[in-house]
Amino acid sequence: MNQKLLLLILIPFFSLGQNYYAYVASESEDTVSLIKFDGKEAVEAERIDVGFMFAEIEGPHGITVDPSGDFWYISLAHGNPFGTLVKYSTETNQAVARTTLGLFPATMEISTITGFLYCVNFNLHGSMKPSNVSVVDPETMTEITKITTGSMPHGSRLSPDGLFQYSVAMMSGELFEIDALDLKVSRVLNLENKIMNDKKMVGKMMNHDNMKGKMMTDDKKENMMNTMGDMKHSMVKPTWVIPHPKENVAYIAGNGSDEVIEVNLDKWEVSDRFKTGKGPYNLEITPNGKLLIGTIKSEGKTAIWNLENKEELAIIKNTTSVSHGIAISPDSKYAFISVEGIGGEPGIVDVIDLDSYELVSSVKVGKQAGGIAFWKKEI
Amino acid sequence: MNKRFLIPILFLFTITLVAQEKSVISDLDELKLDIGQTYKPTTYSVDNQGKKYDCERVIYYYKKGAFSMTGKVMEFNRAKGTIKAVEPGYHEVVAICYGSGKSIRRTFNVTINYPKVKSIEILTGSETIYTDTYIPLSYKITDQMDVVRDIDYWKSDNAERYFSNLEFSISSSNDKLEIDDSNNVLAVRSGSATINVVFDGVKSSKTINVKKNNVNNIDLSIAEKPEKIRTGDVINLKADAYDKRGNLLNDVNIKFSFTGKSFDKSNTASGLILQDGRFVGDVPGKYILTASFGNASKSKVVNVFQRKVQREVKKIGAGSVNDKHTSDFWVFEGVDKRDYAVTGTWGADGTAYFWDVTNPSDIKKIDSVQVDARTVNDVKVSPNGKIAIISREGASNRKNGIIIIDVTNPYDVKIIKEYTKNLTGGVHNLFIDEKHVYALSAGQKYYILNIEDPANPYEVGMFEIGKEGQSIHDVWVEDGIAYSSNWRDGVYLVDVGNGIAGGTPENPVAFGNYTYDSGANHATFPFKSKSTGKFYAVMGDEIFPNGVNPNGTNETAGFLHFVDFSDLKNPIEIARYELPGHGSHNYWIDNDILYVGMYTGGVRIVDISGDLLGDLYKQGREIGYILTGTSDGYIPNDTMVWGAQLYKGHVFYSDFNTGIGVAKVSDLKPNNSMTNQYVD
Repeated sequence: MNQKLLLLILIPFFSLGQNYYAYVASESEDTVSLIKFDGKEAVEAERIDVGFMFAEIEGPHGITVDPSGDFWYISLAHGNPFGTLVKYSTETNQAVARTTLGLFPATMEISTITGFLYCVNFNLHGSMKPSNVSVVDPETMTEITKITTGSMPHGSRLSPDGLFQYSVAMMSGELFEIDALDLKVSRVLNLENKIMNDKKMVGKMMNHDNMKGKMMTDDKKENMMNTMGDMKHSMVKPTWVIPHPKENVAYIAGNGSDEVIEVNLDKWEVSDRFKTGKGPYNLEITPNGKLLIGTIKSEGKTAIWNLENKEELAIIKNTTSVSHGIAISPDSKYAFISVEGIGGEPGIVDVIDLDSYELVSSVKVGKQAGGIAFWKKEI
Repeated sequence: MNKRFLIPILFLFTITLVAQEKSVISDLDELKLDIGQTYKPTTYSVDNQGKKYDCERVIYYYKKGAFSMTGKVMEFNRAKGTIKAVEPGYHEVVAICYGSGKSIRRTFNVTINYPKVKSIEILTGSETIYTDTYIPLSYKITDQMDVVRDIDYWKSDNAERYFSNLEFSISSSNDKLEIDDSNNVLAVRSGSATINVVFDGVKSSKTINVKKNNVNNIDLSIAEKPEKIRTGDVINLKADAYDKRGNLLNDVNIKFSFTGKSFDKSNTASGLILQDGRFVGDVPGKYILTASFGNASKSKVVNVFQRKVQREVKKIGAGSVNDKHTSDFWVFEGVDKRDYAVTGTWGADGTAYFWDVTNPSDIKKIDSVQVDARTVNDVKVSPNGKIAIISREGASNRKNGIIIIDVTNPYDVKIIKEYTKNLTGGVHNLFIDEKHVYALSAGQKYYILNIEDPANPYEVGMFEIGKEGQSIHDVWVEDGIAYSSNWRDGVYLVDVGNGIAGGTPENPVAFGNYTYDSGANHATFPFKSKSTGKFYAVMGDEIFPNGVNPNGTNETAGFLHFVDFSDLKNPIEIARYELPGHGSHNYWIDNDILYVGMYTGGVRIVDISGDLLGDLYKQGREIGYILTGTSDGYIPNDTMVWGAQLYKGHVFYSDFNTGIGVAKVSDLKPNNSMTNQYVD
């Protein structure tokens, strides 16, 4: 067969349109929507009821798809009182198993190396005290252990090699690194450093400087957790951390300080900070490592930065208010943004073209659209 | 063809998975450990050819999970790969073997040995043992770690759990005792005998003195026998034992039992008899009630007739909400002496509706408020008709809390205040009592707020059980006592001003608690029986056995538990109202009549007068019912009653799919003119 003939056969195949699929959770409607985007228009392909208690809003919050694409997982924030993790088949969108986690389980992701799912227990209501990260074996849907971290942990993301899990503690203003194999906290970083120099802020925050960049012994960790009971609210209020797919840095959304914080994971120190709009909430990086996408929750906008120079390339107004989650297609072409809305308004998924930085389509979903996860791209 | 071009093409279109099936092998299998022992298992994998592979990494975990590890069954050090035994019993451990980018797992049975038994004490109770009676044996086992366990072979599951695999034997020193296959001991002759038991190789003995059973005659009577015994009427049997000289014997424990035959040959007799002599017949029929001791017995025959309390119940009005689900409601007298109601909405847009219900057959929607919430689950109005409070869940800023509303003019209600402090996790239920609001917080506890100045509410107290995993669903306040329903932790009676335990809203003091096995305690209503003076906590379940479907018909389960709290320290669950095929939700009691929303079973009205015992539904105590689904409902023709409230002689209710409605219980018997009849 000559090359021309083969190309003739293959060209029509490659030029077919591509469909992108993402799941989005609607926290105030106890539903999950499957979104299909064909490059032009996003539609709600299916709406799936989730939850087990009739008169309660169970609050689906975090959502993730396993690396194989065979299952999706949803965390239901409210229970009796503990929340639940439910495993669904992507083939049928039917629940296949569930397990109980901690208080207000939220963001989660599955490690490619351990196969475990790491879910933060946000526990955002009531007195501020250290919460934890649940580690679940998704094969058996067993919660293996809970690892104590900080107050109101959020934004569970794994390093590209799957060996470390990162989360931030919103109220104690810290970045936590968990060894995904040993299932223990390996490092803690105080994110308040810069603001601590501001005299107006001093005294409002806890000081964990002595822990910066140090591997902790179990005793030290225990002492640290004990002292957290008296902690003050962080001024940074970190809500998200995303490790870079190719470099050993992570980016953190400073929801309270309106900034993105860059952390050098080798040196375990803050290497940069840059300002954002009001209330950055979630962050994701395109798989090619070039763009950082962030939801600016309080402004109902989505920001795009060039990671080479931290330049803000675009700030895009979302279709409704309260911008929340981000899922990026593996070809780095599109960002799917969940936007909550208020009261009786529906949630929205906005699709942003990452070449033109334009909002290209929107689709209504259930109320308070939050957690969002990319499923698959197919021809 | 160029190979550089062909290879990627082949890679794209041809994915061939060659998997070598492997299994995890570990010396964890059937491993036995002693408490406190640390062990490092050896784990590897083998393929189906028997070839052995080392695991690049092994992770172990307890199969029931961290949630079941509150008591720490075992400890895992994953950096060292070791397991430490903590809790005795039979456990499962999962080993995950990682290798070649894959993981395989297997579950292994691990036994943590119970410590050896150190001593045994045989217990026989305080009763005198007579011939022809069974001896109530139990054992107090102390192990070598000084943990004490009470083993009662009359509660065999407990005995099985701890000692099923241990050597156990029981024997008598002579023929004065007979021991059956289930280790029950029957005293057959008077005199002294020694019971010998062996637990795990440790022996113990107890000498039993069996007295001759002198009961020659039993006198059986019915105390305060009603003229006509109806189903559900509790009668009290009185039995006295006498010897052959006619002397009264005081220290014999007479047993009561019954048999019966239904009047209706298609039915079967049914009832309940307690060992204190209380009997109730559920089904009309002839019942033989027997008191016995040893071989002596005496019986009485009673006829139990139909209760005949059924009355006609008619729907007389409705206020339709069919564009969203309706949640709880409250009917109240306004400051203008007219009658009003407020209803919440569920999974919608945060709206609460206000209604003029002065004329129940002409209910008018007169105003509404919309707040930043998706669910307004609960609504309440102050006794003076001036202040309404509504709960919020699903607020966009996740602050939730409650909203205080001026309802002085229900035709033009005004929001006075949003209050969120400590209530950000969502308020599912609330209550208003004089100047205080009781508001649930994140389903874990309740806060008490002073609303004397409704524009400036402030927190004065908080109540929580204080347990890991504490959970609460509802709170109701009456006579200075707060009744909180705490799912598996049951009802808590808390003094918030009654004075019974010295509590105040600032310092709530718990003084009573009752739990039951299903763990589904969702609501509680205090009930002081007008006819008997007895005090009950009526505890309701909420159960969805097959999960929930907010967009279609649901299966519901669960029932109301009547717990006699007359003795606060010894509450006794004595009766239940269980409607076959339908589950309980919210309810109201007035003048010894229960008005209950049974979800798919509609509104049920039940006679709970007199002493209560056993299965109230089966006893024909139901006065009547209505089904509330409508063809234009949010889900058409789908009855889903949320709750009921008796107000000025009318039965108000809210339905998840239709809104608010009113019914009236007539004095007339049910109209059966449309019932199909069969020729005899």
